[in-house]
Amino acid sequence: MTALPHGTAPWGAGYLDVARRGEVLIAHGVGDRADLPIPLFYAYAGALAALVVSFLALGLLWADSRFRGDRAGVTLNLRLPARPLRVLTLVAAAYTVGWLLLGPEAGNAGAYLVYVLFWVGLIPASLLFGPVWRLLNPFRLLPDRPRRPLPPRLGYWPAALGLLAFTWMELVAPEPAAPPTLLAFLTLYAAAQTTGTLVYGHGWLERGDPFEVYSTLAGQLAPIGRRADGTLVLRGPFDGLDAIRPAPGLVATVCVLLGSTGYDGFSTTPAWVDALQSGPLGRAGLGTAGLLAAIAAVALLYGACLWLAGRIGGARDLAPRFAHSLVPIAIGYLIAHYFSLLVIEGQRAVILSLGLDAEVNPDLVSPPVIATVQVLAIIAGHVAGVVAAHDRSVRLLPPAKAVAGQIPLFVLMLCYTLGGLTLLLA
Amino acid sequence: MRGRGVCAVLIAVVATAGCGPLSDTHHRPGNSHEVATAAPVPGEAHAEITVEAGRVRPPSGWLEAARGQTVSITVTSDVPDELHVHGYDVEAALRPGEPATVRFVADMTGVFEVETHNSHLVLVQVAVR
Repeated sequence: MTALPHGTAPWGAGYLDVARRGEVLIAHGVGDRADLPIPLFYAYAGALAALVVSFLALGLLWADSRFRGDRAGVTLNLRLPARPLRVLTLVAAAYTVGWLLLGPEAGNAGAYLVYVLFWVGLIPASLLFGPVWRLLNPFRLLPDRPRRPLPPRLGYWPAALGLLAFTWMELVAPEPAAPPTLLAFLTLYAAAQTTGTLVYGHGWLERGDPFEVYSTLAGQLAPIGRRADGTLVLRGPFDGLDAIRPAPGLVATVCVLLGSTGYDGFSTTPAWVDALQSGPLGRAGLGTAGLLAAIAAVALLYGACLWLAGRIGGARDLAPRFAHSLVPIAIGYLIAHYFSLLVIEGQRAVILSLGLDAEVNPDLVSPPVIATVQVLAIIAGHVAGVVAAHDRSVRLLPPAKAVAGQIPLFVLMLCYTLGGLTLLLA
Repeated sequence: MRGRGVCAVLIAVVATAGCGPLSDTHHRPGNSHEVATAAPVPGEAHAEITVEAGRVRPPSGWLEAARGQTVSITVTSDVPDELHVHGYDVEAALRPGEPATVRFVADMTGVFEVETHNSHLVLVQVAVR
């Protein structure tokens, strides 16, 4: 019987001596703790709020479309120094790659920089300042000389695939935090973006860079918006959402974000962990199947409800035109799943990457605060989704059928919201 | 996972394994000599896990603990391995067939995985409320 613990206090100075290798099944790529299930009361309160809001919206909201999308907002006379900012991002990217290539095995900041500061940090940054990755994207330093036009059929499909690849690495890959894994992903990402930009110009990045699409979609909810012609405006989140233009692959992109976050939620439940490590498919096989199944379930539910809405409302081809209403729901899921990671592991990212002599404070947010943020994020996403879908319905559907046509949409959103709350209970 | 039956079993295991005397050295870092740990004390959150042919018995589940409670986890593996409690960063060497116990005070809330480094198995998740 031996026990060889390291360090007196778990977060003490001896902490960095502990090798962080072979980390398996960590829900978010990095991080040592997961959130506790939310109290049942929070889930019931959240579910009740979602139900009440949905039915109130159905009965009480406006009968004529109000959101003006790209035309809305107060013009801002603001010119940001894009080039220097992009050079700075390039330096930060080189620093991250430097950590991954040369950093020590224990206490390597690389994975924290990628998964916490970049991937999770893009959400609050975009929600506050709009499409920030567009502004910071180092690939926009490449010349914008398209050799041929971007095929319209391509749409957001490259971004959907890129996001699937990233979330697969984060949630399914055997060693998501290992430098070789991250370097392989970053190399493929850089190669795809460089090729796309050299062939199709900067138009490629708008549709093909997964992180630019992710940040731009989240950024539609920000007070600072960017119109299609490049003008910066102050506008409400619903006008921003309304400005999302339907394109091929947009539904897929949003479904990847929702489905992968959903998979993140159930991938650490004991039953799934047990299936992963004792099932016949092996960990990566079953993990891949689970991730794809979660995305497919989200997409199938969306397709079925939109088909029904079209049947009831007497309109066709509604699916791409309601994808914008899923964006706030996906953002709500992302906040609910990553809030504590950003607050706690974000400290570690800063401490490790700058070599600070400080300790992570794991008590910065208490379990009740985390649970409250989680439920509020899911419900706020639900409310915003319902309002966005309502406005789009009264615009697209004939007035006599607009209310009935919305019922499948509300059922859809209730399913996502109740599903999201259930995952927080698991 | 808790319960007096488990305690009784563990006491029997400790007795048959012929462990050395109790020691407090596992509270002192940098002390490399092996440390024997006692059977679970009533009031501790305790789990007892066996790894055999890559299978975890009982199947990976949750071990509930109240904040401030002592958690002890006894693991018997059929292959040499290393045990790691995430977040608390407590580690223990596992020798084939020899039960090893880690014990720590659960002073952080959250859910923490207890895994093996070589076979990459999640043995149990400690939920500290």
